[in-house]
Amino acid sequence: MLAAPWICRSCARSLRSAGVPRLLRRASTIATLPPALVERARKIAAEHDKLTTALETDFDQKTAVRVGETSRVATALREFEKANASLAELGSLLESNDAELRELAQDDLESTQAQLADLGRKLSVALTPKHPFADMPCLLEIRPGPGGTEGRFFADSLFRMYKSYCDNKGYPTRIVKYDVSESDGQKGSEGEVALQEAILEVQQTGAYGEFRGESGMHRVQRVPATEKSGRTHTSAVAVWVLPSFPETPSTDAESEWDNPESDFYIDVTEVRVETMRARGAGGQHVNKTESAIRLTHMPTGTMVSMQDSRSQHTNRREAWRLLRSRMAQQKREAREELAQNLKSSVLASSQITRGDKIRTYNYQQDRCTEHRSGLDVHNLPNVLEGGEKLGEIFESVQGWLTERDIQTILAEEQAEAAPKGKKGKGALP
Amino acid sequence: MPRLRPSLFWTARRDISPFAALLLRVCRDVPSAANELRWIREHIALTSSPAPPKFRLWKLCEKRAKGTPLQYVLGTQPFGGLEIKCRPGVLIPRHETEAYTTELAQILVRHQPSSSTPLSILDLCTGTGCIALGLLSLLPSPVHIHGIDISPTAISLANTNLHHNTRLGLLPPQPSSIHFTPADIFSPFLLPFLTQPTWDLLISNPPYISRGAFARETARAVRNYEPRLALVPDRDGETAVLGCASEDVFYARLLQLAGILAPRRVFFEVAGIEQAARVVDMVRGDARLSGFYPQVEIWRDSPHEEYEMQRVRNYEVPFRGSGGARGVYLCRHDQR
Ligand SMILES: C[S@@+](CC[C@H](N)C(=O)[O-])C[C@H]1O[C@@H](n2cnc3c(N)ncnc32)[C@H](O)[C@@H]1O
Repeated sequence: MLAAPWICRSCARSLRSAGVPRLLRRASTIATLPPALVERARKIAAEHDKLTTALETDFDQKTAVRVGETSRVATALREFEKANASLAELGSLLESNDAELRELAQDDLESTQAQLADLGRKLSVALTPKHPFADMPCLLEIRPGPGGTEGRFFADSLFRMYKSYCDNKGYPTRIVKYDVSESDGQKGSEGEVALQEAILEVQQTGAYGEFRGESGMHRVQRVPATEKSGRTHTSAVAVWVLPSFPETPSTDAESEWDNPESDFYIDVTEVRVETMRARGAGGQHVNKTESAIRLTHMPTGTMVSMQDSRSQHTNRREAWRLLRSRMAQQKREAREELAQNLKSSVLASSQITRGDKIRTYNYQQDRCTEHRSGLDVHNLPNVLEGGEKLGEIFESVQGWLTERDIQTILAEEQAEAAPKGKKGKGALP
Repeated sequence: MPRLRPSLFWTARRDISPFAALLLRVCRDVPSAANELRWIREHIALTSSPAPPKFRLWKLCEKRAKGTPLQYVLGTQPFGGLEIKCRPGVLIPRHETEAYTTELAQILVRHQPSSSTPLSILDLCTGTGCIALGLLSLLPSPVHIHGIDISPTAISLANTNLHHNTRLGLLPPQPSSIHFTPADIFSPFLLPFLTQPTWDLLISNPPYISRGAFARETARAVRNYEPRLALVPDRDGETAVLGCASEDVFYARLLQLAGILAPRRVFFEVAGIEQAARVVDMVRGDARLSGFYPQVEIWRDSPHEEYEMQRVRNYEVPFRGSGGARGVYLCRHDQR
């Protein structure tokens, strides 16, 4: 069932490049969206219509809110069905005996199909709940996997890739942390340094939504500059995407910090703050320049350290922001996992865990493979320069994420339809 | 100082740059060398000069590698949210000073009697003015602050720092009154200048290193480049009169002033637990002072709200925070 042709544009593209015939080309009927999804949309639209009528006779705050929530789906469904109807009409015209009519229909077919694809995507998006952090700026944390220098060099390549992607798109960024490793050799073949850890803040509204699919293990396959025998090495780099508060916290954001309900809340008494101890007596006896700060959230063992600024004050502020972002992400992930566990195992295949590789960058073959969407992109230099090829990958991952969200909804729908009806309707991620 | 492994220099050279290897001589480990190099580069990028950047980089790294403190090389040290200018002849602000200044500001805000009466602060031995200016940036204005130092170089630098940070927008534009005056705190003519109904805080980070410790325990960058006047009390005449160890003579004088002015709170930075204990003794051994200040605390390098009781000689004293003993804090009974 899940192999049903998708309407989503980016998925369609990835299917195409994976060599799947263009199913959308057929003048198909409503079957272009999974029936269960359309079913769900209809249910919501029906509720919307009923409530709207109810509102006309007597006003109720709660009803009004629900009407607002459901209107996006209702509108998207209406337009989708309209386009579908005209496609069906065109289909019958194509069978007509009148050659002129057939020609006219043929002319319209393409644009109507494209329109339908677009509307279908809109409907899917309307049906999938928006990620609560989607509108926030984000922090990209990049850390090499265990092992040799290769991974560290590649960590720097990824850092540069994201940085230039943002530059190309005109997103403001800020380097929060850029720690170069202490041990081992020379520079990488492209002049990369051995990176130990880097954090790039993308200070763009909605950056979290755009980058969240980058979380996971990125694998590189190439021959290191130092490798005489020409043997290809494989190493890995982990990327974490964290939600971040805007740089100058508005009063809104600050109140979030003090609100125990918020994901960004931390009980400060549970955090151990450490500064680098001076050698010897401290005070007037030494004038050290180290200004590192380390924070440990004791209940979870989450630790962050910051040393990039000369100012201890700045390092402290950055460390707290990072700790809050990490904690928020952790809480969110824990909830998501809980929600997933409540649902059927249909999802298991589409889940990725922290250890799974999500993408491979193969230098010898000049190829980048996105494992989740199945997209293969050539012209690796363009990807690493953060060019339009990387944009294509991003888009395919967004498609994959939407697909996954829809599967979640479908699984939920099934669970609800099941006669034994477990308990409630588990929270959506 | 132990010799560094030659391989470290190679590592710094290969991984970072030859400049990092140069800095390693004073930084002693690769991450700090890398950090300092980055800060030097940032400084060059942010300041203009007719000299080409590569040349400046070389000059600054060389200067630093010869032992000059980074703060003199770059001309600044961050302090709280401020940028404090540093010049040879005036002591560089320390992280520990920044830590207790921040903590004291929080206490003052919490206990401010009413927002209509401005808080008043007396900072003796003000140096760069970092403590006075740090408090100014952290307290709700208006505040009344008076900073005093014997060194005209320090007083002029403190004034420069006031203007510099005001211009950068890091300090509120002046509804407060803040003055820096050159004076010797041992001078008998000092008191008439300190008229103020009651100071909310008397704070001082006076010279406190003994002559022996100066030779043995100070870092080379301190001993060779920072002013001895700021570090070692050379006041033999006063020491004899006040009857204390020569390195404690400033505390004896400061407590004398506290006994007369009776400020609501008092804070002195100290060298370590021994000196802290001696200062506690001086307070407790003086009937007038112990009457004023029933609350005597020892603060460690990173002070925070929680404290634990610990026995120091004859007294049970609350210790705040973590790290080495860094200050003695007194509070009047009507202020708790
Ligand atoms: C340890 S420094 C403290 C500077 C600054 N408050 C800080 O925390 O960075 C001591 C300062 O006391 C000043 N000083 C030394 N003897 C003094 C005296 N008799 N009267 C006033 N100031 C004095 C020195 O010039 C020096 O600036």
